Amino acid sequence: MNDSRRVWPLPVKLFHWLGAVLVLGALGLGVFMVQFIDDAARRFELTQTHKSIGVAILGVTIIRLCLRFLTVAPKPEPAAQLPRLAAKFAHWALYALLVIMPVSGWLMTTTTPVRVPTIVFGLARLPYPLAPNVPAYQLAHAIHVASAIAIAALIAVHIAAALIHTLLWRDRTLARILWQPPNDRRIKRAPPASISLCD
Amino acid sequence: MGVGAFIVCRLPPRARPPLRHFAAICALTLLGCAAASAATRAEPWRIDAAHTSIAFRVDAVGFPQTHGHFTRYSGRILLDFERPAKSFTGFTVEAASVEVGSPVFNEFVKGSMLLDADKFPTLSFSSTSVEKVDGRTARVTGDLTMLGVTKPVTLTVSVDNDGSTRSGIISFIAIGTIKRSDYGMVFGIPLIDDALEITVKTRALTDE
Repeated sequence: MNDSRRVWPLPVKLFHWLGAVLVLGALGLGVFMVQFIDDAARRFELTQTHKSIGVAILGVTIIRLCLRFLTVAPKPEPAAQLPRLAAKFAHWALYALLVIMPVSGWLMTTTTPVRVPTIVFGLARLPYPLAPNVPAYQLAHAIHVASAIAIAALIAVHIAAALIHTLLWRDRTLARILWQPPNDRRIKRAPPASISLCD
Repeated sequence: MGVGAFIVCRLPPRARPPLRHFAAICALTLLGCAAASAATRAEPWRIDAAHTSIAFRVDAVGFPQTHGHFTRYSGRILLDFERPAKSFTGFTVEAASVEVGSPVFNEFVKGSMLLDADKFPTLSFSSTSVEKVDGRTARVTGDLTMLGVTKPVTLTVSVDNDGSTRSGIISFIAIGTIKRSDYGMVFGIPLIDDALEITVKTRALTDE
């Protein structure tokens, strides 16, 4: 039971990595289908897949937010206040963008005059609560694209920080979300004077 | 001609034309009758399916141009080279035979937002006038019926008969643009263009 305060609980870990795969998939597909596809039929199909993944991301993010509020977080690794605050800001910005992105995408599908039905993974039809409105569509589209750029940048920082924690500072930040170390002897604690970025 | 001969015989002797004039009148009348009967008949030509395509394309904002064609259709071409205005062409296409590049996309285009193929199984075109512009171009006006609405449309037709009507093969490329909204197809406007460009390529064959 001590370990539950030293590592993140299993559901938190699973949904984190599931979300990571879905987000990288949706981001990659979004860029690919817009920039590199010039065949209308292919673009149509990829857009339908992209929308399904987006809806899944929104669902996973809501679950993750609920888990986060219900979970006792592991005790933070030693760190100075500024890096710790920066990490907190980055993580909550990621959560916010993980909600803004699929919601702005949803707003795009409902306000576009091109109202193609969205059947999420062929199972359920996505409701379109708003009427077509070109200015609203253009705003939702701008938010969606800007958020995509922001989240891509934040993900790059997030991954770089995790690697720095693991390879440079050799602390347990990545280990806590990745696996349950059998014991701590193999993982050196960072000396108190060093600065580490962790939540 | 028999009637003409009877009338001439009934004229008073001084009013009758000389025999040589009478023969000329008969010959000219015969030629006139033959010419008139030949010019009133537009000959049916066979449509070469292997060289026929009924295609369309439409532009959209932030989306690639959509190209499509229909694979099941029937058509008639009647040609009159002496009097092109008497020529006729008509095509009927099956809406469900539309091909736009993938089964998923096909289903969407056949669906209720666009072609509504369940409710309107066919689209058709029937020419009402043919105007020869020059030796290789004609303007064909006709009635296009789509989604149950019939509107006139004019197509510019390039004609390629390999230099001779006697070769038995004539190629046509007919191009025209319609406004989808005229036929009640308003889906996606203005992000999807209202203008739909139609290109019909065909080759007509005769057995003569």
